[in-house]
This record gives sequence, structure tokens and C-alpha cells, in this order.
Amino acid sequence: MKRWLLGGLLIGCAAFSMVKTTPFPLRYPASFGNRISVPDDNPTTIEGVELGRYLFYDTLLSKNNTISCSSCHHQNKAFTDGFALSVGVSGRPTLRNAMSLANLLWVRDFFWDGHASSLEAQALVPMAHPDEMGLPPEKAAEKLNRTTFYPEKFRKAFGTESITPVLIARALAQFERTLISADSRYDRFLSGKETLSAAEKRGLAVFEGSKGNCTHCHGGAKFFQNVFHNNGLDASPLDPGRQEVTTQEADFARFRVPTLRNIAVTGPYMHDGRFKTLEEVVAHYSDHVHASRTLSPELSKPIHLSTLEKQDLVAFLRILTDSTFLTNPAFSNPFVQGRRY
Amino acid sequence: MKSLKISLILVLASVLATSAQTVLKISGEVATPLALQASDIAGFPHVQVKAADRDGKTHTYDGVPVFELLKKAGVTLGGQLRGENLVKYALVRAADGYEVLFALPELDPDYSPRTIILADKADGAALPAGTGPYRIVVPEEKKPARWIREVREIEIKFAK
Repeated sequence: MKRWLLGGLLIGCAAFSMVKTTPFPLRYPASFGNRISVPDDNPTTIEGVELGRYLFYDTLLSKNNTISCSSCHHQNKAFTDGFALSVGVSGRPTLRNAMSLANLLWVRDFFWDGHASSLEAQALVPMAHPDEMGLPPEKAAEKLNRTTFYPEKFRKAFGTESITPVLIARALAQFERTLISADSRYDRFLSGKETLSAAEKRGLAVFEGSKGNCTHCHGGAKFFQNVFHNNGLDASPLDPGRQEVTTQEADFARFRVPTLRNIAVTGPYMHDGRFKTLEEVVAHYSDHVHASRTLSPELSKPIHLSTLEKQDLVAFLRILTDSTFLTNPAFSNPFVQGRRY
Repeated sequence: MKSLKISLILVLASVLATSAQTVLKISGEVATPLALQASDIAGFPHVQVKAADRDGKTHTYDGVPVFELLKKAGVTLGGQLRGENLVKYALVRAADGYEVLFALPELDPDYSPRTIILADKADGAALPAGTGPYRIVVPEEKKPARWIREVREIEIKFAK
């Protein structure tokens, strides 16, 4: 009898904290595959995504109310910022280049060194980092709790007005999962709606061919594999990269392979933003790969593309720009004319 | 003084970590998760297989049958590989994040005539950086895409 009573009580409590939310339909092409990362305890909902979008654009989440996630992740640059390194509240540059946020639904390890294994884990790191937003997430939660705007939004999304760092991270992660880019000229070409120029077609052949072997790391519909490689930027790399996470010597100077979707608008390139143009990037892989003890075996032999092949490859890379993604109103700043609430 | 002590402890800890580093993890649907060091793997029974690599040439590989490693972790193999256990698989993960999959019967000598090994030597020499220290070798497989290099982890999972 006692057990039944206790069970009833527990069910009562669960019902009390339950909230009616609407599942957010994540739409993407079948070619992207369903190996997506959505944790069981944070399903994507209309209410959660809406809240996450406000948080993403809110400078309240920084130490001095000047920086939001969007400060280093501009939609029109596929959520990068156009700088080699970013500058946050401290005025000091970040250690590495701001990464694009396109198609994170399929990413398994976040940051250049993969030190966060979920978007929920990732979201609070820049907030707390003294050179980014500089605000401990607990303080961020306190600030949001003091507004008249957010408690109601959290109640709708999560069934509680008590804002915590965990819930902030969950909302941001939900919004970021909706940032799907799959409507470039290349996609339209694949579906027969667009034709490519001769140079673009030749560039595609270089990209897919065995000489360039670009698809080894950037193959598939999403233009990235979830892998970490040392791509030969330096003979004596200074940044240990993935090794800092795994402590394994073999991971020295390895970095996450980023997507090539929208690559024409996400420069400067590489983890330290050393290359300003796609031409410089292609020239690197063609002729300037430096050997070091952990260089990816795929890059050990120089490929030496011709001048025309390089130009064609860049022409192909440019058709991966998805203008629908870059201008989608659902991803834009929800605060009208910068006004908060 | 206190900070000196702490630094000494940190140095000692890092020395210990380096000398006793886990080189292979076996986890998931196992009775005993394993975190193996190089000396543990060296202690497993080794076999030799001949197989053609990407270069088209046949090489001799020394290594541990993956079956032996999984048996040590208590994976449902042999007499237990029946019924629902037939939808279990081994997800093998490399240092760079590359992953390949084997259905358990592919690894079990009761089912498969070929022996898939975790190789540690090719033609008598230790595998070079970028390939080793451990690489899966699948004899007779026409395309060596599952000959995954720099193996770090084997996770046993149930297909859902």
C-alpha cells in the first residue's frame, strides 16, 4: 500500500513538472543520413529553439553586456566572424578561429580539438571563457532570472521558471541543431535544378578525383567526416590541438576537419585563421604541406595541382555557398532593431 | 613548499600516466570493460595472417585475433552468439575518429573462416606512426577500407 502511495506521489510530481511542448521538425536531405546527435534529455522543441535563438543573440550572457554568441558567429558568414582570431570581453584574441555552426546536428566532437562531446557541453564554454564572453554560467543564469522576459520563456520550454546553466545550454543547443545548410548551388545541381559552368564541373572532378583526394576527409553530402587530422601547416606545430584532450602523442597538432559547405564565406581559414583566401588554402594542400611526426598519411605525398586545376577547384568550392542558409529569417536576430525586451 | 610538493606530485602523475597509458579500450555490451596497455596486448596469443594491402601486395601481419580480445571482455561470442545477440556489432574507432563496423559473427571462428586480427606488426616490423601501433587487418576483404589504422577503441553495441 505504502509503495502504491509513493508511486502515486512520484507520478503526481512528474505531472506537475511536465510541460506541453511541440516537437521541432528537423528537416534535412536523406543523403545527410540520420546519424544525428540529439540527447534523450533534450529533445528539440519549437519552444526550446525559440528560447535558444533569443539567448544566442543576447549580450546579457557576457560579463559586460557587449558580446553574444552571435558576435563571433554571424549568420551572413555561415556563423563565423571573418577574423583570424576573435576578440571577446577581455580585448585579447582567442586561441583559435571561430568555427562555422552549419550542420552541427551531425558533429560528434565540438571545437577544433573536439573537447566537448555534445552541443550542451559546448555551449557554456565560450560563455565562461575570460577571453570570450567572460561570464560564469551561474552568473548568466542569475542575470536571466532577474529579467521579466526570460522566466516565462524557460517555463514554456522546460516547465520551470528557475533558470539554470544546464537549461541555458539546452536551449542554445536546440537552436544550434536547427542550423541546417543543404540548399547550395551544388545541391540544386544534384537535384537537376541548376547547371554548372565548365570550370565548376572540372573543379568537382578535381575534388572527387584520386589526385586531390579531398573527399577522404571532406567527402559525403555534408562535406566533412568526423575526424581529426594534422594537415601539415607547420614543420614544428606550436598548437598541440587534439593532444590536449586525449593526452596521446599521436594526436599532436591534429584538428577537427570542418565542413566545406559555405566555405567561400567562412574565411580566414584553418584553426588559426592563417589563410585569407581559398586560393591560399588550395595552394597549401597542393604544394606547401609540411612534414611533421603526426602529419596525416593522406597528405604525405604532394599533389601538385596545375594552375587551372587550382582555379577550377576554387570555382567548385564557391558553389557550396548556401544563400538560403545565410539569409534564413528563422536563424536571424530575433531582437527587433537590436532592442532587447 | 606546498606548491613544490604539488608540482612533484603532478610530475610523478604525468610520468605514471605516460608509462602506463591505455592503448585500447573495449566497452559497451561487455561483461568486463577493458582498458588495455601495450604490455597487455603483447601478452595475448598472436597469430599470423597473409593479406593484400592497398598497394596490392601480399604482406604478413602479426596480431591478436579480435575474437580473443572480445572474449576477454566477456562479449557474447561462441555458444552465446545466438538469438538476439546476433544483432550486436563491434564499432572500431581510430585515433582520428574514423569508425568501422563488424557484425559479431564476422569476428567469431564458429561463423567465419577468416581471422580478423588487431595487427601490431607487418612483415616483422612494428607498424609505423600514422598506421600503428594497432591496425585491423581483414584477410580476403577486397577493399581495405575496414583495415582501420591507429585503433584506439572497440565498442560493442546492440542494433536498435
